[in-house]
Parts: sequence; structure tokens; C-alpha cells
Amino acid sequence: MLDALKAIIRTLYIIALMGFTLWYGYFLYPVIFGTTEVETEEDFASQEIEAFFGEGTTEEEKEFMKSLKQQQRISTTDLGYMVIEEQYVKGHFHHVGMKVETDDNSICTRCHGAVPHDKAKTIRAFLNMHAFYMACETCHVRPEDDEQEWEFRWYDKATGKVVANPPGLNTLDESMYGNYSAKISPGGIKQDGSFKFINGPKELAFVERYLKEEGRLDDTQKSKMKKVIHRNVNEDPLICDGCHTISDEPYLPFTLLGYPQRRLHELTSTEVVGMINKYQEFYIPNLLRGGGVDKDVETE
Amino acid sequence: MLGMIMNIDINNSLYGVCPKGWRNVASACISGGLLYMLLMFCGLGLFSSNSIAAAADELNCVLCHKYRGLSRIDEKGDFRLFYINQGLFNKGPHKRIQCKDCHTDIDKIPHDPAKDVDCTVQCHLTEPSGEEKFTHKPVAEVLAKSVHGTANMDEEEIEYPEDYPYCTDCHDQPLYRPLSFFKGQAAGVSERGLSRCKTCHQTGDFAEDFYNHVTSRLQKMRVSAEIVNLCAKCHGDGKFQERHGLQGNVVASYWETFHGKAAYFGSDATPDCIDCHVVYGENVHSIAGKDSRTSATHEANVAATCRASECHANAGEQIAGYQVHTDYDDPDKYPMQHYMLKFFKYLMAGVMYFFVTIIFLELLRRLFPNFSFFKPRKEIRQTTISTAGNE
Repeated sequence: MLDALKAIIRTLYIIALMGFTLWYGYFLYPVIFGTTEVETEEDFASQEIEAFFGEGTTEEEKEFMKSLKQQQRISTTDLGYMVIEEQYVKGHFHHVGMKVETDDNSICTRCHGAVPHDKAKTIRAFLNMHAFYMACETCHVRPEDDEQEWEFRWYDKATGKVVANPPGLNTLDESMYGNYSAKISPGGIKQDGSFKFINGPKELAFVERYLKEEGRLDDTQKSKMKKVIHRNVNEDPLICDGCHTISDEPYLPFTLLGYPQRRLHELTSTEVVGMINKYQEFYIPNLLRGGGVDKDVETE
Repeated sequence: MLGMIMNIDINNSLYGVCPKGWRNVASACISGGLLYMLLMFCGLGLFSSNSIAAAADELNCVLCHKYRGLSRIDEKGDFRLFYINQGLFNKGPHKRIQCKDCHTDIDKIPHDPAKDVDCTVQCHLTEPSGEEKFTHKPVAEVLAKSVHGTANMDEEEIEYPEDYPYCTDCHDQPLYRPLSFFKGQAAGVSERGLSRCKTCHQTGDFAEDFYNHVTSRLQKMRVSAEIVNLCAKCHGDGKFQERHGLQGNVVASYWETFHGKAAYFGSDATPDCIDCHVVYGENVHSIAGKDSRTSATHEANVAATCRASECHANAGEQIAGYQVHTDYDDPDKYPMQHYMLKFFKYLMAGVMYFFVTIIFLELLRRLFPNFSFFKPRKEIRQTTISTAGNE
């Protein structure tokens, strides 16, 4: 019995060594003859397009190539006592100091991207700033008169699930403002008492399916589907003074969303509200007031 | 005293690859330099301004610019980010200049589309050695006359002007890389060293800024690998090299060298592009093309460049024969290296795979000790007899 066990162990040991020898032979080849660097999916995509377009003949093609090459590039700065790893932004002088999580659970960014606002020249950067920590639905989907008011919760950008109020709201480091890995989004309480975002996994799956099958639809069907997808979008989005107001009841319940009193005071301070009033007086485009067109856009 | 403090450990790490005699000279020079600079700046003020400790953000620009998502896509389709990470901004020499010193045309809210920053404008700081307003203009002038500028070229000679770098193509926002020399050298600020400065200089952040500024300037602002990657932004691009009639992939060939491998594994002391392409002791912005008689890489100057005090100080003239940018894939230009490399690769493969095969067969034999493709004759005969008997 013991001899049989010994023989089995010996055999297994030899087989393992043979396996290791084969692997070692496989491992040796690139060590001796070199290998090309591991390519990412983006590299492959970039190469495929480059093979098709060459370097790109039109500005659009060149821009597309450039974007593919810069996808998720990380820049590293070694200060000796610390290493800064940050998102690479071409031509950007100042250090960003952080990597940015993509929002994988927004149905809007699938088509509109993470920097969607562009029409209202004077405030587009501000609007994009809000898109960093607020889902598009927060301002662009508002309850109808006969509907119940929305509830608001934070969702995790990576998982799309409801998360507790981000601890980052309490930071004293102003560089981290808005960078919570989460976004505020509206929803409602279901009959069973649980919370549901107005656009959740089901809606996301629907949009993804639409994008996948889009090529099979004719032009009329595409228009129809776009109307369906955008059916909730309100013509009159929420504008700045809905939240940045000295009123006791701003549209977003800051306190319930975890903003400490200090931040609440900042958001509704004379400094911020005053500046917004200044913007509104001169610059809030009619576009955001419902059905209008930005003056700047008109004159372009 | 500072010099003495610095001498304690500088020999062990900063110039870890240098001959010892030169290490002492180098460390003494640095210690002396530090002392001189500290004394000079202590007397004159590093950069005197009305309020040296004043925050740069007097206009409260970060009220909005502290938000990470403040951004847009510009008319050219480029992503423009307007976020300022104040924590990092305050870790560099620009912390004491105001936003408007660089972004001069922004004078109202909401801003009109701003122009690109001109690094040669004068800011409100006063440069202490000349008592003049501070500007990067002298640097830009040196750059313009270098191989990276067009000042020395006739207009018809300038091809692809968009390829010539502007300040921000190489420089992002500078950050301090302070060093501690207190009882041994280490990265970062020595609180104990700093506390000595603060004995006298107690106002605001004066001592911290000073300490950070001077100790950062006594070493490289970037590690070697970062410098190589920076140059690779242009010189690693084959089409760029081709456009300007430059030698193939100089970046890849650098990584193949001992210097490159040391840099790859994080060595700060190994030479990078700047160490070989800038004349020893000269302004790094003054790089000349290798055909220029004043260039560090001109064939007449290569040996002197390699023999810079921190490197191969005792090497002979023959060191100039070392080919840094050898392209092993080019048999026409480097036939000896190309075929020698091939020979050694196949030799190595032959030796290694021979032994791997032997080991595998040996293991196979242990697994099947009696296995044979050909049965021994005796065994065959016995088998035949027993078969016949059975019949």
C-alpha cells in the first residue's frame, strides 16, 4: 500500500516536472528572441482603423485616430516622495492628480458622452461640471404635474447600484469636490418600499440592445426608437437657481444626499447664488428656458 | 554646516554610479551651491513680491475651478479641462503667482474664450539676482536658437513648423521634488532641517517654499524614464523622425542599452537624453543638432560628454566609439551588430533547448523505465517460444 502510494507520488512528481519543462521551453522563446509588447483592445481597434483609413485623410478621421490612441492614457510624475498617476489630457498644463472613473451605467452617456453640453457657450463648462456627479436625468427628466416628486439617491458609477452618501462630501480637500465615484440620480419608491432609479439596468439594457441592432432598422424606425428612448426628457430642464437658492427647499435635498452644512452653505451662499444671478441676468441662454435658442448660438 | 550635513550621505545614493573621488567633488559643489543659494536668497528674498505668503488665488478662481468636471470640447474637437487641483498646484513654484499672471486676458465673468498662455510674459514676481520682473523669456530665446527652435533658420528652411515644440509641449506644471539631507539623504522635506530655517524665517510659508525650491533645483526635476518618455513624444514617432531626416527609432535603441535598462528599472542616476545631448553645465534648452560643432553629440565632443564628472570621468577617447542608438534590425547600417546578435540568439536557443530536451527525455525515461521502440532479441525469442507452446 505504502509502495503504491510512493509510486503514485513519484509519477505525479515526474509528470509535474515534465509539464514545467515544457512550459519553460515555451517561456524561453520570447526571452531569447524578444516579443512585441502586449497590445490592448484599443491598440487593435486603432490598428484596424489605421489599416482602413491609413493615417486618416479627413480631419474627422484623424481626430478619431487620435482619440483612440489617447484612450485611458495615464500620465505618471515621480516626485521621489510620492508618485502622481493621473488621467492624461493632451496639452493640459496643470496636474489633474487623479484618474477618472467612467460612468458605465448611464443610458445617456452611451451616445452623448461624458462632456455633453456644448450649445450654451458661456455656461457649457459649468453644465459639464455638474454632469460629473449628477446623472443627466437629475435636470433633464422632471416629474409631470400629476406625478409624485422624485426621490434622489447616489449610484456607483461602476456598478450602477444605489450607494450610501459618499464620504467624500465631508472632505476638506477642495481638490476632491465632485469626485465621489458616484452620481446623484432621481427615482421613486416602489410598492415594496425599495428604491428604483427612473433609468436602471432594464433601461440600460434596452438602449444597448437598440445601439446593437440600430443597423437593422430603417430610418423611420430609428426616429421612432429615438423618440421612445427620449420620451421622459423634459423640454424645460432644471436650471441653476433650482438648487443654488437661498430658499429653504432647493430642488435637490442636499442634506438628505449627505452634504454637510458647510457644503450646503457654500452651494447656497451669496457668493455662488450671486454669481449665478449674474450669469442668469446676462448669459443664461433661452435654450435652457424652454424652447428657446442661445443668443450666442444664434449669432454664430 | 549645511555642506557638512549634505556630505553625510550624498556619496551613497545620489551619485551611486560615480567614481568616488568625483563623488566628493560633486557633493562638495552641491553643498556649496546650496549654501550659496540659501545665503543669497535669504539676503535678497527668493522672489520678492508684495506678499510672499499671499495665496495665488486672490481672485477666488477656485470657487469654480476646484470642480473636477469643469470642462468642454472646444471647436477643434479637443477636450479642454479647466479644473485646478489646488493641492498639487501648491506643491510647485507657481503657487505664488496669481492665475491672472499667466491667463492675462481673463478679466470678466463669464470668461470670453481665453488665449493660449504666453510663458514669456512678465509676472508680478521680482527675480532677485537682477531685481527685474520675472519672465521665462530668456529661456524661450535660448530654445529658439537651439535645434528645437527656428531662430537660426531662414524662412524657406523651416519645414513642418508645427513640429517645433512650445514650452508646454515638454513642460507640465512644475512640481517640487524636495530632498532631505538631514542625517542621510532621502526624498521629501526634512522637518528637522526645515525647523532650523524656521528658527529665523517664521513668516508665512517662506521657509517651506525656499527649502522646496532650492533642494528641488539641486537634482533632476524628472526621473530618467520620464525624460525619455517626454522626448519620445516626438522622437519616438517614426514619421516625425522621417520628416526631419533623423535617425530611426532612437528611443527604442536607447531602451536597449545598459543606460536604458537602468532607467527602465527606475534608476535616477543613469543618463537620459538630456545628459548626453546637452553640453555639460549648459542650459538644457540649448540642445544643438549633432552636426553643430558646439553640440554635445558632435563626433569631436562625444568623448568629453561621456567623461562628464558624474559619469565616465576616467574613460579614454575610445569611449566615443560606443554606439548608443544601434538599430539591431538594420543589417545595412549595423551589419556586425545585426548578425552578431542573431548568432548569439541562435546560440543561446540551441544551448537552452538542447538541455531542455535532455531533461524532458530523462523525465520520460523515469516515467517509463522499460519502454523501447525496439524490443530486445532475447525477449522476442522468448515471446515466440511461449506463443508456440500455447498453441
